[in-house]
Amino acid sequence: MDAVCLQGVTKTFGKTVAVSDLSLAVPPGSVYGFIGPNGSGKTTTLRMIMNILYPDRGRIMVLGESRRGACLDRLSYMPEERGLYQRMKVRELLEFHGELKTGRKVRRQADHWLERLGLTDWATKKVETLSKGMSQKLQFIATVISEPEVVILDEPFAGLDPVNAEVIREAILQLQSQGVTIVFSTHDMGVAETMCDYVFMIFRGRKVLDGTLDSIQSRYGTDTIRLRTNDGAAALENLPGIEKVNDFGRMQELRMTPDCDTQAVLTAVMSRTRVHSFDIVRPSLHDIFVRIAGPEAREVPHA
Amino acid sequence: MRKTLRLVRREYKAAVKTKGFIIGLVLAPIFMGGGLIAFAVFKDRVDTTDKALAIVDRSGVVAQAVVEAAENRNENEIRDEKTGKKVKPAYAVELVEPDQTDLENQRLELSNRVRRGELHAFLDIGPGIVHPGDDPNASRIAYYAKNSAMDDMRRWLGWPINNRLRQLRLADAGIDESEVKDLFHWANVEGMGLVSVDVASGDIQKAKKTNEIEAILVPIVTMMLMFLMVMMSVPGMLHSVMEEKTQRIAEVLLGSISPFEFMMGKLLAGIAVSLTSSAVYLIGGVLVIRHMGFQGYIPYAVLPWFFVYMLLAILMLGAFAAALGATCSEPKDAQSLTFPILVPALIPMFTYFPIVREPMSSFATWMSLFPPFTPFLMLLRQATPGGVPPWQAIAGLLGVIAFTLAFVWAGGRVFRVALLLQGTPPKLGNIVRWALRG
Repeated sequence: MDAVCLQGVTKTFGKTVAVSDLSLAVPPGSVYGFIGPNGSGKTTTLRMIMNILYPDRGRIMVLGESRRGACLDRLSYMPEERGLYQRMKVRELLEFHGELKTGRKVRRQADHWLERLGLTDWATKKVETLSKGMSQKLQFIATVISEPEVVILDEPFAGLDPVNAEVIREAILQLQSQGVTIVFSTHDMGVAETMCDYVFMIFRGRKVLDGTLDSIQSRYGTDTIRLRTNDGAAALENLPGIEKVNDFGRMQELRMTPDCDTQAVLTAVMSRTRVHSFDIVRPSLHDIFVRIAGPEAREVPHA
Repeated sequence: MRKTLRLVRREYKAAVKTKGFIIGLVLAPIFMGGGLIAFAVFKDRVDTTDKALAIVDRSGVVAQAVVEAAENRNENEIRDEKTGKKVKPAYAVELVEPDQTDLENQRLELSNRVRRGELHAFLDIGPGIVHPGDDPNASRIAYYAKNSAMDDMRRWLGWPINNRLRQLRLADAGIDESEVKDLFHWANVEGMGLVSVDVASGDIQKAKKTNEIEAILVPIVTMMLMFLMVMMSVPGMLHSVMEEKTQRIAEVLLGSISPFEFMMGKLLAGIAVSLTSSAVYLIGGVLVIRHMGFQGYIPYAVLPWFFVYMLLAILMLGAFAAALGATCSEPKDAQSLTFPILVPALIPMFTYFPIVREPMSSFATWMSLFPPFTPFLMLLRQATPGGVPPWQAIAGLLGVIAFTLAFVWAGGRVFRVALLLQGTPPKLGNIVRWALRG
């Protein structure tokens, strides 16, 4: 049984189709990453899973239940925009959210999570006194304090500094190790690549990618050269068999045409500058994302 | 229900544990009855500076009586009996000979003396004042002052002048005043309720005296208390929902509870807060009134109706407010919607006076049977000495219950749809569409 299963789900707002004929299955215990440009339908899909929005067509099953709201207490949701009662005290707020879901006292869990995320000293302070990063960690605790079976996080790393992002990342992976299914959306392709068992991409309301990172990259083949040179992108113009150069500053990615001769490319680059590294790789998730959703996107594939 | 009650607990604590609630609890009745309290507190705070009055008595027979009355007043009435402190101004009367040649010029000169502050006012008594004839100007008494309409001295002058005129008229008629004292006995028409039969004993029960306090003040205070409770909870609900929407708290909560549970949590918390406030006011009010010995005026029979109507009014108007709050994306939207949600409470405030004067009129009956007004106007009528026929109370209650259910149902639909919409200003067409179609 999938933790979350969508079958042919469509949602429109007026004349705008936010999500169109969407199907996906989230295996239990997995980390499932939602990627896609702004306004592509990620949040709408997450809200429909949470029963906050109702689909116009299609079927949504959560933990095997298709009745609306039947499993609401077994899953938990952290929206993209953080929403906390500013005048409540930190521990009181956590107890409120925990009791709302479970109906039992959650003081022990609250103290455990506060300690785990370094907020113990703030337990009796009002939420309005917390910094943005601390508020975000508090929102995360409020989401997981009820010990849900499925956790849905909308942009959990947005706005966090690397230290706090690492704390949240570790907490998510620990939850996964305890059997919790994690579904989260992100714009950070690096996070999606490193954390997600499955990656799902939605673009203009339609699913365009769905599967393991390996399977997704396999679809695009080994068509990328990643290299470092003395002269950077300036030395990589008009190379034979190269259709696009992505300049990342100290490193460049070259996208090859299907008939590209990598030896000829290497020879040409070496004739122009000194080469420090030259790897033939599969495209990164970032590159795939840009190919699908970037301004040069030729067509929208359907996964 | 568990989740709703948990939300109620949070909302209730958030509301009553604030300084604002405590201060509001004290200040709200002060603001509502501020005029009456200020009048009671400051009624004796008068200007005690002595006041000079000039009298031009063209009849020649009245002024001296005023002089004597003023002297008597200055001697006996202007000081507090216990402390001896001066609490009223003394009146100094100056008699001015009438200028028979240029009366208007004399009035101008006296007016200028008033302007310069030498006089407080001057009195012009017509020559025919004792026996008024066909010429109204001859029997006229005119009081000239900077603010003659609101002047204690003018009001005071009526008694000594008319008393003197009565004496003069009796003397002219050859009647000894001491023999006709009953002539001036003023008989009051006493207001009584209706005679009834005691159900238990079968004895005839005497009618009770009625008065203005019972007939007007008690119903108005009862209705004002209802208005106060609605004012203290309903607009707050609009702003609270708007805040939780704009601060994204609503979306977080919707991950745990349904929109209807969310809305009901806020409504029930509003009722709980109002029950707390009203209990404080009613218990405090009853204790104070009993202590003052006016327990006969407490409308105990109406109190259960008060609580039932309050519960329904807050549910009905609160659902309306919560729904409109959910349509707001910024504070100015909420500000512009505060007035519309209070219209059902404000119209009864504009119309209560004719209704309390004639509580059984057709106007009163139909207005009080219109469900949004029933909690205010039916309660007002029920608190009058005669009450209302039982069928009207029941019909009013059923109407309010039906309206409340409809408001909560429609409000819940609007609330659910609007709560997640950002950046869309509230439009009547959208609200109606969401209420009807969900």
